[in-house]
Amino acid sequence: MLFALFPGHLVPDVEQLMVGFVGMDRDRDRAIFLSVEVEVLATVLTTTCPLCFAGLILLFYLILYMFLAGMFSFCIYGLLLTLSPYTPTYRDRVSPPGVMIRPYLHGFTIAFNVSEPSTWTPYVNSMHHFLQAYDDNIQEEKNIECPAGQYFVQDGAESKEKKACQFKRSQLQNCSGIEDPTFGYSTGQPCILLKMNRIIGYRPGYGTPVSVNCAIQKGNESALKSVDFYPGNGTFDLMYYPYYGKLTHVNYTSPLVALHFTDVKKNDFVPIQCRLNGEGIVNNVTNDRFLGRIIFTLSIGM
Amino acid sequence: GLTSARAAEILARDGPNALTPPKSTPEIIKFLKQMVGGFSILLWVGALLCWIAFGIQIAQGVASAFDNLYLGVVLALVVILTGIFAYYQEAKSTNIMASFSKMIPQQALVIRDGEKKEVPAEQLVVGDMVEIKGGDRIPADIRLIFAQGCKVDNSSLTGESEPQSRSCDFTHENPLETKNIAFYSTTCLEASPFLPGTATGMVINTGDHTIIGRIASLASGVGNEKTPIAIEIEHFVHIVAGVAVSIGVLFFIIAVSMKYKVLDSIIFLIGIIVANVPEGLLATVTVSLSLTAKRMAKKNCLVKNLEAVETLGSTSIICSDKTGTLTQNRMTVAHLWFDDQIYSADTSEEQTTQSFDQSSQSWAALSKIVTLCNRAEFKPGQENVPIMKRVVVGDASETALLKFAEVILGDVMGIRKRNRKLAEIPFNSTNKFQLSIHETEDPNDKRFLLVMKGAPERILERCSTIMINGEEQPLDRERAEAFQTAYMELGGLGERVLGFCHLYLPEDEFPDTYPFDTDSMNFPTSNLCFVGLLSMIDPPRSTVPDAVSKCRSAGIKVIMVTGDHPITAKAIAKSVGIISANSETVEDIAKRLNIPVEQVNKQDARAAVINGMELKDMTTEQLDEILINHSEIVFARTSPQQKLIIVEGCQRQDAVVAVTGDGVNDSPALKKADIGIAMGIAGSDAAKNAADMILLDDNFASIVTGVEEGRLIFDNLKKTIAYTLTKNIAELCPFLIYIIASIPLPIGTITILFIDLGTDIIPSVALAYEKAESDIMNRRPRHKKKDRLVNEQLAVYSYLQIGILQSVGAFLAYFTVYAEQGWLPNTLLGLRVSWEDDYYNDIEDSYGQEWTRYQRTYLQWSGYTAFFVSITIQQVADLIIRKTRRNSLFQQGLLRNKVIWVGIFSQIAIALILCYGLGSVTALNFTPLRVQYWFVAMPYAILIWVYDEIRKLFIRQYPGSWWDKNMYY
Repeated sequence: MLFALFPGHLVPDVEQLMVGFVGMDRDRDRAIFLSVEVEVLATVLTTTCPLCFAGLILLFYLILYMFLAGMFSFCIYGLLLTLSPYTPTYRDRVSPPGVMIRPYLHGFTIAFNVSEPSTWTPYVNSMHHFLQAYDDNIQEEKNIECPAGQYFVQDGAESKEKKACQFKRSQLQNCSGIEDPTFGYSTGQPCILLKMNRIIGYRPGYGTPVSVNCAIQKGNESALKSVDFYPGNGTFDLMYYPYYGKLTHVNYTSPLVALHFTDVKKNDFVPIQCRLNGEGIVNNVTNDRFLGRIIFTLSIGM
Repeated sequence: GLTSARAAEILARDGPNALTPPKSTPEIIKFLKQMVGGFSILLWVGALLCWIAFGIQIAQGVASAFDNLYLGVVLALVVILTGIFAYYQEAKSTNIMASFSKMIPQQALVIRDGEKKEVPAEQLVVGDMVEIKGGDRIPADIRLIFAQGCKVDNSSLTGESEPQSRSCDFTHENPLETKNIAFYSTTCLEASPFLPGTATGMVINTGDHTIIGRIASLASGVGNEKTPIAIEIEHFVHIVAGVAVSIGVLFFIIAVSMKYKVLDSIIFLIGIIVANVPEGLLATVTVSLSLTAKRMAKKNCLVKNLEAVETLGSTSIICSDKTGTLTQNRMTVAHLWFDDQIYSADTSEEQTTQSFDQSSQSWAALSKIVTLCNRAEFKPGQENVPIMKRVVVGDASETALLKFAEVILGDVMGIRKRNRKLAEIPFNSTNKFQLSIHETEDPNDKRFLLVMKGAPERILERCSTIMINGEEQPLDRERAEAFQTAYMELGGLGERVLGFCHLYLPEDEFPDTYPFDTDSMNFPTSNLCFVGLLSMIDPPRSTVPDAVSKCRSAGIKVIMVTGDHPITAKAIAKSVGIISANSETVEDIAKRLNIPVEQVNKQDARAAVINGMELKDMTTEQLDEILINHSEIVFARTSPQQKLIIVEGCQRQDAVVAVTGDGVNDSPALKKADIGIAMGIAGSDAAKNAADMILLDDNFASIVTGVEEGRLIFDNLKKTIAYTLTKNIAELCPFLIYIIASIPLPIGTITILFIDLGTDIIPSVALAYEKAESDIMNRRPRHKKKDRLVNEQLAVYSYLQIGILQSVGAFLAYFTVYAEQGWLPNTLLGLRVSWEDDYYNDIEDSYGQEWTRYQRTYLQWSGYTAFFVSITIQQVADLIIRKTRRNSLFQQGLLRNKVIWVGIFSQIAIALILCYGLGSVTALNFTPLRVQYWFVAMPYAILIWVYDEIRKLFIRQYPGSWWDKNMYY
């Protein structure tokens, strides 16, 4: 490495230098002679050409950092080799699953005034946008129908492309946006879609489908009189699990549960907490308010 | 005397008769100084920024606002705690001194209201009449009105080692010279056991108005300059603070121009500051210095000011006293001359026998004279004390002779009893001899023995014969010349020579009952028989020549400054090696070449002996010329005031000057010197107060061991700082990459503090225990301005080489943790904004899994922990490479410094506790880490070690080369 410190044309006899630098030659005289030569070289450089000297240092650091960058890249490359492209090594941090809702603009307060369409159109647009992938014809075209009530386990090579089960928009019934393209926002009975976070290989409920319930988070319970759940009483069917990762499970669409808030106190902020219920689901951790549950506020103006 | 009422009045007017202690800084100021010194300001700024960020965020309703509040509090706590620690350390070393200055309150016998009264010396006032007896300390400046056999020891004031007699006669206009004034804090001596000196005098000055008081205030007027290590640490703080501020500001600007919010940019700035400041380092330096101070105290160097530990190490000139420091401070018989031959006596500290040839009859005669013609006596009750340590009543020469005789003959007092003394003429300065007449112990020999000693030429004048091999022979010309040669030779050695002669008085002329009368001298005092010469010197301490040669090889110039005669000074200087055997002074060359002194080329003379009188007439340029041109210098017959001039001269040569001193008059020089060394035994309180260091055994050799320790700590502090600075880059890089590449934050600010103040503290102190790499006493003292504690090479090597290496290793661990959880490196780039979005709870990772915010945060903490663990692991390697700067680890050995191992184990233990023990405490941001992540950075740790071994190999192989110049710190 050291002789690379000197610009090529200044090192006339690399082999000779090698001997000196590597220090295998026990001949001290020669080594001293060499070090003198190096010394002279360096002095010549410093005195006659300060820029060359600065260049020498820059060159040294260039080489050092290139070496480090190379070694780092090599290590990262090695690291990537040990990883499977299909399944992460560990999944203990991402499970149990978290929960998210749609529409999602920013934050978890869904506030609109029925009489002013401009206040709810963004929500409706967000829902439509999100549900595009669930259009019945797209689902029918890309995904297969699966037997309900059991996990859709696909054996075979890990690298084999996995089939995904159909989740049609129409299954959301009143919240599908087909009959009512405003998802009930225009009538003050908004739909909210609830989605469980995807985790590779995770089988929620251990055989029993996970269900959803919603309640007032705190305050007057009469503010939330009725909620309708679609599909199937607000459960995530087992056939949508397990998830095999985005590389092989290309067309996978997360199953959804639509919450249809048909009777919510108007003109007030109503904090609602929806929880997943099922075996293996954790929904009461103080630090993580999105783990197995979600809290949002409805504020519907009339 | 005064009346009590009048005395009280004057006391109220003049104040108590005590020296005002030097003004000390109030404790609270000292404390506050610790709070704002060093890096504290930078950390206060960090804390303040934290609170500002907290204020803004709380107003915006950001959930994580309290993190900033806590961080601010933690930073403030760090400053306050390290401040308290530094304050405590300083207070502790000051306390050592406080015990020194405590003195037993002195009493004085004063005549008030016509009665003798004992009052505390503090209450003396001008006009009081005081009585003093032998052994007392003089309680104030007094004018004597009655004195009897009173001698005072003025050595602490004027440097004269001979006691001065005092009488009530006015003899000189200069108050310092006149005999009728005795000075505050000097001691009245017991002139002889038979005649205790007494004196009565009137107080003329009290307290700060006394001569001593004036000198003391002069000393406090001499400015206290910054110690070299303080300058070095300041320099280092400037470098680090400069780096911190410039990187901070640079990245603040970068962040703002990258469209980050100003508030976020401020938070980045805090992170950069915290990462850059080695919070624990100043405390570590203090601990290292105090460890060395403790080690030095064991070697009899008591350091008052911690920083002086290192100052001693950078010393390039030592101005040493002669008496007591280089020498044993007691006269000892060094040579004898009898039978026409010079014999050497043993002058070591622990002599128990003398080995020269004692078979001659002449020696028997000589020893009898030495024993009998001597008034000194051992104080009773010291039978079990070694002879050399016994206390003697009598003057220095007589003491030397008494001890010499006791060593050889034993029971001198018994011999004297058996040879009863009949008459005696004590020594006086007019006749310059001492004589006594004794009965002999041989009952058959009825003759009386007359013994005489004195100045050799005077003794010889009175002799007509000389004893050779026990036979009296006529003192012819030839014999007289032999005597002259011997006398000159011994005198040339700087020794005090005494001649001895005797005469057996014929029985018929002096019968049993002969009435000897010393006034009429009715006995012969001429035509005596010359027996021999004895010469005495205050011999060098046996350890000193070795110490001086050590100094010489360490490139330290030793200058002797003494009040003694030039010849004696030169002789001692030669015997301890301050003037080496083959060096010549200008005078020597002149004598050898037989040319006048003026014609000698001054450059030829290595040595110089400068007389105080010459020094007085010298200009500063002339003094500088001497200090530059001569490497071996002795200043003789100097007054303590001239010491200050010499010190200033040395400092003009850019030298770090150590000065030894014991007298009050030395205190300005002690203060002026870069390091003042007071004598623990002989030193006065004023000297001890002015000094930075106290030499408990008064031994010059102890200074040299101190120098060694001081040099070692400088080297080791370099290692400590290099060790500490390295990981700052590994702490800083995460922030920079976080800002530039927008990856999740690799290491948190709190975690950084756990490295700086947790895992790294014990290892960096452990480096203070490192043994020297080579003989540090074989190199030149460091140059104040060129050999910096933190030089460019150290900073560059730590920051840009090992530091970067460490960062790379830690980043590998970081990426590994994220990748194995599903976040591949390419996904992480640019992820920061969504990653930190509190509302975004279903971010997809590289595998399509969705993460909540808290799940991500927890992973981020795992990343912190992995980064932390990797830095810790690589710091172990860093610690091992910092053991040496030049030698291979194999040369230094891994086991010689066991404290290093304590450091390594503590480091790993603390990391384990933080990771697994406190992993569940969310506020600390640690998580229990999978075991394998501890080993991810291991290859980089090994690379650090191998790289450094290669660096050291090239440094050793090619000294002076480009590599050596750029890589050796």
